[in-house]
Amino acid sequence: MSESPQLTYAQIDRTVLDTLRPPIGAYWLVIMVLILGVLLGVACWAYQIFIGIGAGGQNIPVAWGTYLINFVFWVGIAHSGTLISAILYLFRAGWRNPIARAAETMTVFAVSIAGLFPFIHLGRVWVVYYMLPYPNQRYLWPNFQSPLVFDMVAISTYLTVSTLFWYTGMLPDLALVRDRATGFRQKVFTVISLGWTGKHEQWRHYTRGYLFFAALATPLVVSVHSVVSWDFALGIVPGWHSTIFAPYFVAGAIHSGLAMVLTLMIPLRKLFHYERIVTMRILEAVAKTIIFTGLIVGYAYAVEYFLAWYSHNPVELEAFRWRALGDYSIEFWIMVVCNSIIPLLFFFKRIRTSIAWLFTISILINIGMWYERFVIIIGGVAHDFIPHAWGLYWPSGIEWGIMIGSFSLFFLFFVLFVKHLPSISMTEMKETLGEGGGHAH
Amino acid sequence: MPTDRQVLAVFADENQTVAAIEALKRSPWKLDRVHSPLPSHRIFAALKLKKSPVGWFTLVGGILGFFTGFGLAIYTASVWKLIVWGKPVIAWIPFVIVGFEFTILFSVFGNVLGLLIFGGLPDYKGLRQYDRRCSGEHFGIVASCTEEEQGKVIEFFQKQGGEARVFE
Repeated sequence: MSESPQLTYAQIDRTVLDTLRPPIGAYWLVIMVLILGVLLGVACWAYQIFIGIGAGGQNIPVAWGTYLINFVFWVGIAHSGTLISAILYLFRAGWRNPIARAAETMTVFAVSIAGLFPFIHLGRVWVVYYMLPYPNQRYLWPNFQSPLVFDMVAISTYLTVSTLFWYTGMLPDLALVRDRATGFRQKVFTVISLGWTGKHEQWRHYTRGYLFFAALATPLVVSVHSVVSWDFALGIVPGWHSTIFAPYFVAGAIHSGLAMVLTLMIPLRKLFHYERIVTMRILEAVAKTIIFTGLIVGYAYAVEYFLAWYSHNPVELEAFRWRALGDYSIEFWIMVVCNSIIPLLFFFKRIRTSIAWLFTISILINIGMWYERFVIIIGGVAHDFIPHAWGLYWPSGIEWGIMIGSFSLFFLFFVLFVKHLPSISMTEMKETLGEGGGHAH
Repeated sequence: MPTDRQVLAVFADENQTVAAIEALKRSPWKLDRVHSPLPSHRIFAALKLKKSPVGWFTLVGGILGFFTGFGLAIYTASVWKLIVWGKPVIAWIPFVIVGFEFTILFSVFGNVLGLLIFGGLPDYKGLRQYDRRCSGEHFGIVASCTEEEQGKVIEFFQKQGGEARVFE
């Protein structure tokens, strides 16, 4: 697929390298605001460490609050990066090339942010090493039959693999920046580009290695969110104990991640004048994929109700009745409308080719997906088997502060990234112009 | 006769580069390497490159990871036995998850290691005999020759449309 036949290699390089020029004042203002947000999060976390985990709103029966919601949310956001960089790569979808780098970067940062939440939720964060399988005097080891330990193994594997995938994919572009830079910047890029010179022998092994990366990342991404879903599905809590959780979570993760790709790419496209590279056809392709994932997510919501009805289990029936009509019904309907109804607007070409609509809907989906995790995580334990054990939860100010900090940290990383590293893969763009995408040999 | 000179010719497009590779293969001089800003299937075909052996490293990494994951889960369950009713201490089904994740992780480590070893990375010395335009929009072909022949090689590349320079 040749998106912009009029583009040349030189124009691609110039457009992307121009984004690495020293920033204007407004950039530093954005950085300052984001740093303030991060500091707010750090202050709230520090307060929680001194006061105790009770500073959050979690209590019996809802022991998993926004920390777990945000954990699952950020892991979900991370998923479309691998979908775009690995799965669409294997399918030779040329439209992925202009957005693959930003999506991969989003993955790395989102997994890093997600990985913070178990630390935050731990309370006594300094004993985090208990989770690691290390030899110790007491022969006390992590229990590898626990879904929480599965999760630690899966998330740390995902972070390592996605970071290596991201860095390896960036090597040729780092070399290009090195070759156009001067002074200290050139020295830095010389080191991090590992002396890449684009020799045919380097490309021969690189293309093969990249193909294996994609082939390995694809099952990994499916496994990671399946494992996250089992944190819940392996419990017997009504609303959690369901066999559809793994595919339901994977589809939801990709849904939210694609929405976040739009949320990030649309301003980036405008600010960095990427209109000729990230064309409307590419944004449209993302929107069409969102229709698909939105339909799967909507189907999963419906199937949950069907299973509750078909089971004739009064506890399940009550859990799902309460979900739609009970104390968290507003959150539930935000979830349903934002995730499975609003994305259907993308069926209309006029909407999926409008920047304003694309951006607005992407944010609504992000909100909806956050509430999906709220409904699942909070709703399940707040209203389980016996009325005696029911209870409500709402996040405390400390939790909101930490959440603002996590969003600020994510956007801070991303804003720093776009001004310091190539935010579009110049190599893959050149391939798109040449042979229709995909550089496996 | 020792070939102590390297002539690097820079070409503006892929077609010229592929034609120059074909011509160089018919000449008495040795083609040393080709630099390109992207992986070109046409250059790969002209050079008749074989499939990269990186996959063997990936495979070995995967096998090691599979046994490491299962081994770790089995060993830890054995030294700290959690007896819960009649459930097995060594439970194969949940250990598949640990085994799977380690398989992927170690495969990727093997893949990266293979890529670094076969790709000769890091290679900072290689930057001395390299034209910086080759990472952007140009292609480079390097031929080895003797000092006496370097003039002929330069002339050969110029006829092919390249801009040549010599490295010792």
